[in-house]
Amino acid sequence: MKLERSDRGPLIAFLLPAIVVMVIFFIIPVIYVVVVSFLKWNGISAPIARGFKNYLLLYKDKAFTRSVINNVIWALVAGFIQVPLAMVMAIILSRKPKGWKFFRTVYFFPQVISGIALATLWRAIYSADTGLLNGLLRAVGLGHLARDWLGTIETAFPAVLIYWVFYIGYYMVIMMADITTIDSSYYEAAVIDGATDFQQAIYITIPLIKNTSLLTCITLASVMGLRQFEQVYMLTNGQPANTTSTIVLYMYKKMQDTNYGVASASAVVLIIVGVIFIVCIRKLFEGRSEQAKQLRALKKARRAVK
Amino acid sequence: MSENKIHAPLHGKDLLLAIIRWILIIFFAVYTLFPLIWLIISSLKTNFEFLAGSPFALPKVPQWQNYVNALAVAGLGRMLLNSVFVGLAATAVNVIIASMGAYCISRFRFKGREKIFTLFTAGILVPLNALMVPYFVIINKLGLYNTYGGMILLYCAIGIPMSTFLIRGLMDSVPMELEEAAYIDGCGFFGRFFYLILPLSRTGIVTAATFEFLTCWNEFVFANLIVSSEKLRTVQVGIRYFTNQFSTDYVSMYAAIVISIIPSILGYIIFQEQIIAGMTSGAVKG
Amino acid sequence: MKKTFALLLTLVMVFGLVASMPAYADDEIIINFPSIWVGTDSKAAYMSKMIEDFNAENAGKIKVVVEEQTDYQAYRDKIRTTITTGNAPDLCVLDTTFDIKAYAESGKFMDLTPYLNEGWGENFTDGAFDAWSVDGKVSILPFEAAVFPLVYNVEILKAAGWDHFPATYDEFFQMCKDVKAAGFNAMGQMAGDNAWSSMLWYSLIVEAIGGKDVYADGLDNPAFVEAAKVLKEMYNYTFDGAVSATASDVNGHFIARDTAVYLNGPWWIANLYKDDNAVDGVKLADVCDVATNPVYEGGKGDGKGLVTTVQGFLAAAKQDDPAKEAAVVKFLQYISDPERVSEWALSSGAMFFIKYTPSPETSLISQKFTEISNNASYTILHVNGAFPTAFSTEFPAAVSALVLNQIDEEGFVDQLQTAIELAE
Repeated sequence: MKLERSDRGPLIAFLLPAIVVMVIFFIIPVIYVVVVSFLKWNGISAPIARGFKNYLLLYKDKAFTRSVINNVIWALVAGFIQVPLAMVMAIILSRKPKGWKFFRTVYFFPQVISGIALATLWRAIYSADTGLLNGLLRAVGLGHLARDWLGTIETAFPAVLIYWVFYIGYYMVIMMADITTIDSSYYEAAVIDGATDFQQAIYITIPLIKNTSLLTCITLASVMGLRQFEQVYMLTNGQPANTTSTIVLYMYKKMQDTNYGVASASAVVLIIVGVIFIVCIRKLFEGRSEQAKQLRALKKARRAVK
Repeated sequence: MSENKIHAPLHGKDLLLAIIRWILIIFFAVYTLFPLIWLIISSLKTNFEFLAGSPFALPKVPQWQNYVNALAVAGLGRMLLNSVFVGLAATAVNVIIASMGAYCISRFRFKGREKIFTLFTAGILVPLNALMVPYFVIINKLGLYNTYGGMILLYCAIGIPMSTFLIRGLMDSVPMELEEAAYIDGCGFFGRFFYLILPLSRTGIVTAATFEFLTCWNEFVFANLIVSSEKLRTVQVGIRYFTNQFSTDYVSMYAAIVISIIPSILGYIIFQEQIIAGMTSGAVKG
Repeated sequence: MKKTFALLLTLVMVFGLVASMPAYADDEIIINFPSIWVGTDSKAAYMSKMIEDFNAENAGKIKVVVEEQTDYQAYRDKIRTTITTGNAPDLCVLDTTFDIKAYAESGKFMDLTPYLNEGWGENFTDGAFDAWSVDGKVSILPFEAAVFPLVYNVEILKAAGWDHFPATYDEFFQMCKDVKAAGFNAMGQMAGDNAWSSMLWYSLIVEAIGGKDVYADGLDNPAFVEAAKVLKEMYNYTFDGAVSATASDVNGHFIARDTAVYLNGPWWIANLYKDDNAVDGVKLADVCDVATNPVYEGGKGDGKGLVTTVQGFLAAAKQDDPAKEAAVVKFLQYISDPERVSEWALSSGAMFFIKYTPSPETSLISQKFTEISNNASYTILHVNGAFPTAFSTEFPAAVSALVLNQIDEEGFVDQLQTAIELAE
């Protein structure tokens, strides 16, 4: 909508509170973080300027590069496996099968359970001796696969990652809310044309939520993947051999060492990686939506020819 | 939508799809219910059973005492009230500020619009752990250390980027034509916001509110950092009452966790009804 | 919907008004004390009694207000933040994960030297301040002590054919083999979380190999590489999944009585006597005994050296108001009074850097801990206490990498060394 002159005052008044909050609680603190990232500072002695040395140290530290890789994998898995799963479930539940309200509530439960409880549960599931997973494997005759899932280099990170992928409740609810606002006449028309549920999902539901809730969820999930901390901290503390570390966990440990310079530098790297990620996702969607439009136009044209 | 199909017998492909559908539904239900059930069972064990026995065995005698401990020893009642109070207040202020901001960004084209939105989105990325020192200073300078006001302000603030992002995302799907029509009918800035956009983007607002409330409810680091009085402590601090320097009384802690999730589950169910109520007001997407 | 919101908002506001802050008398000195000796901590009950008594004795004049802190990591984060921003609490407890030397040098804490020299210092054990004073001044007070002897399950050793605890590391590993053959685990190791148990074992081995001056050359002493070899060998005799294990796994295995040797500080003794942990009415303490660190062949340790640490320092913020300073010192002197400390030790099992006569009611295991502590020919800190914090944050990664063959013993020491250098 075009901005009318009479709207200018209210617009500023509406935007102002959010901007003030952003300046005080984000911009100024982030400037502080950026400044500290160029210092050597233990929080108590006088800080010393050290240029880009903290960033150089990060670049050389294998634990940090591993953390960045882990976060990128996490963000990709969250955005392109977890969210699509959530979308499938959102589409299924929005068709209102028996007990859909119950399931919708149940799927959300893990979001309200304290992280400590989830972490101890999954430690118990993955445990080498009394673990549920090893028990299951042994019961079906795959005992040779049993192992200390969180204590093996190859399996620790996948184990930490995979269990989280199936907790889809939050994204599912966002997309369900969006799907329910779709005009039912679209589906009615499709049913008359003989479209199956599957076809309706592909040709009506997904295109209509793609640039709203689906994009929102993918961005959100990726950001959450990049910011991952609590689960890793409580499940493995980044071990074994730093293979499950994440950027925020790395940063947190540097803060424990009162190495505020390196900690701040890693926070800055996280923000940069995150912005790149978000920009890429948006580009991807813009590109895709153009393609989709062309594709749809093409199909229409073909049908018309027939 | 598909009501006419429910009674039709299923064949071949349809049957296969239905089977897959139900396998998925049940898989996710089991997967998400399991932690809660495990938590409840564990909260009824003795510490000996929990530490020394199989983590998946049932307790010999249910230890209701753990719940008494959680409520009496840790003083969870007051903390629950604090969490509800702080959570609701922060969520209310947060959602108001965020929806006003999102409205401007979503509906109007002005200079720097996308820049402002990118700024908000980048705000989601900031690892808040890194901001302990600045936040502590800000809250102190404002004279809000150890007050409800400090917690409410901080919680409201740290959720602004996320809420703005979520609300904008769903506000964008309200068709521009509707607002333009209202504008031509002589509806002003505030009128369009309150009577048109707010009701139509209610799903987005409720989504953001849910997220913000859960963030407040689950937040621990700052709850511990900017509050010192026991009277102001929130439930996440209470859950950790059974932890000490050397060991954790897991079973009592789990009892405390079970108690602490009951209000959030109830609250969620109530909120959900609101979403549904909001959605019956009209299907507008297209 | 509007009505519901209006109602909620009203409730919220009313609650906010009702829940106002408590008021204090104007001339009363308030000492704000974020404390971790609260909640389920064994020192909590007596601590809160002391504070109550102290506040009653000084009613109207001084009031100690405790801020309960139970999650130690969150407590550390908070204390670090308050000190960094210049808002150090009037009184707080620190441990060796803080940079004690830097804090002592910072001048942000009260200089307690004059008070200690007036006779209060006599209460403390000899040499307690040596390692922690800066330029002869004491501002961070070593207070709670810990020693790390070995506790072992006599019945498991018996089942493995051992009627005494091994005196040397060669014997110890023979015992480990026998215990394993008898179907038990020899000891609990953990590389998960903060790798606490493995850190303590490593400290014991380092002491046995390097002797009392092992920390003199930092990590350059060859004892650290050799000790890494021994630690890695121990992982063959611990329970399954030790690489990802945490303290609750180690404790769980020992109280489930499938593990022979347990290593932890004196605060854990109370668990040995708990009815919860008894099996068929037999308390865990009844089947346990205490042993000293075995001797390492060719090592510099003499078998009587002891690994210890300062479990808790007391630190008081510098005060501008002399009356407040006096009040804080008065409270510090109150809680370090030998008679009170004796009762405190009895009720909690904790040990202190205070000279006191132990109560005759002290548990047998506690007595043995004290005996070993009194007979020690020298003491060294555990490795986490001896090196900067960066060592302890890197230790779990280094141990797991070592045990999983990602690095060799030299690589293990290098990794820790690099972490320390990075923080400097």
